Amino acid sequence: MPVSRFARQTRWSLIVLTGAMLVFLYLPIAFLILFSFEDAATPGLPITGLTIHWYQVLASDSAIQNALLTSIEVAVVVTIIASIVGTMVAFPLVRGGVRGAGVLRLLFTLPIMIPGFLIGIGLLIFFRQGLHPLVDVQLGLYTVVAGHLVFTIPFVVLIVASRLQGFDRRLEWASADLGASPMRTLRHIVLPLIAPAILAGALLCVTLSIDEFVITFFLIGPQQTLPLYIYTQIKFGVTPEVNAIATVILLVSLLTVALGSLLLTGRRRLLRRPR
Amino acid sequence: MTVESEAGVPAAPTAGSSTGRLQRFGRALPALPGLAVLVFLFLVPMAIMFVFSFWKTNNDFVAVPDWNLGNYARFFVEGTYLRTFIKTLIMAALVTTTALAIGLPFAYFLVRYTGKLTQRVILLAVIVPFWTSYLVRVYAWQAILGEHGALNQILQAIGVIKVPLDIFNYDDPGVFVVLTYIYFPFALLALYASLEKFDFTQLNAAQDLGARPDQAFRHILLPQIRAGIITACIFVFIPILGEFLTPTLVGGAQSSLIANLVLNFLRNDQFAEGAALAIIIAAFVTAIMIVFRKSFRVEDVVTSG
Amino acid sequence: MADLNSRLARREFLKLAGAVGATAGMSAFLAACSTSGVTAAPATVAPSLAAGATPGASAAATPGPTGTFNWLTWGDHWYQAEMDQIAATYGIKANITSFSDDIDAYTKVQQVGGQVDLVSEDALWVPYFYQHQLIDAFDINSLKVASQLYSVAREFSIWTTPAGYLGYPNGWAPIQIAYDPAHVTSGADSWQLLLDPKYKKRVVVEDQPVEVMAYMGKAAGVKDPYNMTDAEIAQAKALLVQLKPNILRLAPQATDTVAALKNGEAWIATINLGEDTAVKDQGGPTLNVFTPKEGSIGWMDAEMLVHGGVNNNLLMPFLEVHEQAEYVAANFMINRRPLFSEAAYKLLINQGQQELADHLLFNKPETVNTMTLKGPGTSTQAAIAAFNDVFGS
Repeated sequence: MPVSRFARQTRWSLIVLTGAMLVFLYLPIAFLILFSFEDAATPGLPITGLTIHWYQVLASDSAIQNALLTSIEVAVVVTIIASIVGTMVAFPLVRGGVRGAGVLRLLFTLPIMIPGFLIGIGLLIFFRQGLHPLVDVQLGLYTVVAGHLVFTIPFVVLIVASRLQGFDRRLEWASADLGASPMRTLRHIVLPLIAPAILAGALLCVTLSIDEFVITFFLIGPQQTLPLYIYTQIKFGVTPEVNAIATVILLVSLLTVALGSLLLTGRRRLLRRPR
Repeated sequence: MTVESEAGVPAAPTAGSSTGRLQRFGRALPALPGLAVLVFLFLVPMAIMFVFSFWKTNNDFVAVPDWNLGNYARFFVEGTYLRTFIKTLIMAALVTTTALAIGLPFAYFLVRYTGKLTQRVILLAVIVPFWTSYLVRVYAWQAILGEHGALNQILQAIGVIKVPLDIFNYDDPGVFVVLTYIYFPFALLALYASLEKFDFTQLNAAQDLGARPDQAFRHILLPQIRAGIITACIFVFIPILGEFLTPTLVGGAQSSLIANLVLNFLRNDQFAEGAALAIIIAAFVTAIMIVFRKSFRVEDVVTSG
Repeated sequence: MADLNSRLARREFLKLAGAVGATAGMSAFLAACSTSGVTAAPATVAPSLAAGATPGASAAATPGPTGTFNWLTWGDHWYQAEMDQIAATYGIKANITSFSDDIDAYTKVQQVGGQVDLVSEDALWVPYFYQHQLIDAFDINSLKVASQLYSVAREFSIWTTPAGYLGYPNGWAPIQIAYDPAHVTSGADSWQLLLDPKYKKRVVVEDQPVEVMAYMGKAAGVKDPYNMTDAEIAQAKALLVQLKPNILRLAPQATDTVAALKNGEAWIATINLGEDTAVKDQGGPTLNVFTPKEGSIGWMDAEMLVHGGVNNNLLMPFLEVHEQAEYVAANFMINRRPLFSEAAYKLLINQGQQELADHLLFNKPETVNTMTLKGPGTSTQAAIAAFNDVFGS
């Protein structure tokens, strides 16, 4: 507990600041949701009436649903590949006695920090004009997945590597002493214990991939992902339907997190029951 | 698979001198797929962009090997690019400073004054909106900041202003507000991760020894969360160098940032010209990363909460 | 530490599982909803087609090929009810992808080739595609529905080749200038209106460097704004400098232009023909429009058959139905753009929409001959460099 005599004022001013910032963060969300119920062809003020029409349109709009499904497909594929590949990289990076591990670590951080449109353009030029004389790369979901992998794998690598760095190797030695083969040690000791890190990386991959717009924009073929659909609604552009889908996504995310936390707390409470 | 065995068994007790070249190669094997992605999908394309930047785009939208330095010269000679880049740096710096100025007390409050559960809830409350579409959220800001937007309507209704505010109306301040909105959570996460590890009893000890609260803050707390502050800075500053959507959506005629100028070329298939400008930005980012490589820790940010 | 990690593990896993499960459930829900029928639209949007009258049903007396083809097009070339009906009646489904600017479609089709079957493009881009062997020419008169077109639409010289016609004409629009007569009382006949210092931050133009430079070129009296000489670029750039302080914003999409006009933030804007009616419909002010006296730029678009399209056997049957007057007329009512179908015009008269159709020049397709048509040009790079110079800092 802080002992400063300004404690109460400090505490209150901090509460006000935090509260104000939260209001600021949720202001556009409130409007976003409001506009999804708006009875007009374009989201915006003034509000002339309210309707649930756009949710009905959403429910029967196969184009936007396909876009959402494509986004999810891509995200799942990207996550699976990135999690596996990234974890595999982390091991030699931390333990392999590889020379220049520091440089490699920096190199792996670079794709995360380079602005997305550079990666997108670089890959587009690479696929389109660089590889063109050799192999005819057609733009499509594969190229999109490739683009997403570039910036998701580094996240997994860094997270798992960080976890591996602090890993207590005596557990592995103990396992070896007890007669387990290295393979078994890996499967039954190491992987389960670094699983949280891998899962954290996986979750991050899903999040990053699903709303990814810039790289997808440059690398996609005649398909559509949700962020792309929203953006390329040109000439008569966005209707409140996109607000509707954004609201739906928001609700689903909130419910998922609430559900997850609830289940988690429930389980913990269960474990605390006296025997 | 001997590969896993090398990676799984530590160098201690019974392992002999397993430094044979083959075994070292075997140890590095699992990294190959990841390295392949890094090399072929990142380094090679960047290299190609580098080569293209010395070429020219012809009228058929194809880059042809007409070797020249003109595309780079354009950045330094034509004035607009350098000026816009500096403006982008300033905007990034302002947003970073603001995000830190708000994020630090915010994170401090969370760590010091609230329980674990509340911290989790508030952090999630900050992050969950980011699971909705970036585009839709920024569009919502248009409705708030415009001449007839919510902000002006409310301020006029309660009588604070008579005439609608013009400063947010498709102008730089509006871009500043939205960028702060977008990047604040990154700063918060980095600062929170760092503050969470800090042992606050040190502050008590310092005060017991006679230090004033602000002295304790400055000499004990700040140095230890330095890595977190730098990570927060990098997570906010660098991506803003590549921002083009927000200026387009809430900015006006004078709000173009460097990425907008680059994209004007790239979106019209002027690859060679755009590549040079893009490489310059990439080089700048790389330089920052190298300078701050020791302090920057992505993994802390991402695993917190 | 281990406890925290295992807590983290379960938490993250549940989040992930929950997210996947929820989204799977959501998509299942949405999919279920979509099969339960088309919803009613608000009055200003799609007119409902009479249940029984499927256009062109007589044209397809014998059952034709069925399947799905890939269409790269703009959002105003189709509407959902139409696509659903064609799929239901003829078994031809369109897998539609949208794009933004002409050059985007060019880049895509260059890359993807036969993965796209049908693509829409503007004016001079059509022969450009043909020059690059991306599309096939065809005999337009082999399509029965082509007789419903205005004859001028079947005879555009830029779309005629010895091998056939290059695309099935869809619609067209000149770029016009719309203004609010409550605030603008003079100068409403020239590009110079955009430059009048009275209108600081009251003008909206598109965020398209090449197009905006073309407007300025026209304002400077340039004949061919897409192939400007350096001197002409300099002239256009000088006008662009005058334009800059007047610009409220560079609109990324037409919806942004409409929104700015509707809520009164902008008084003047460059629009595609018809956007003024959209502003009025959405509760905005009644705007006046004009085509600048220095000459305007415009576009006309067509559906083109991509060379080597995998499903191109579906394209002719599709066009036979899609281009029927009933669908075209309904499309006009939704998107408020003149289209090249003469039969659709007659249908609109019958539906009592003659005033609107005439206002939007539906019966004057020959107007396209007075427009400078959009297309790829030689001054693209110079235009962008000039634009960046002005709109950078």
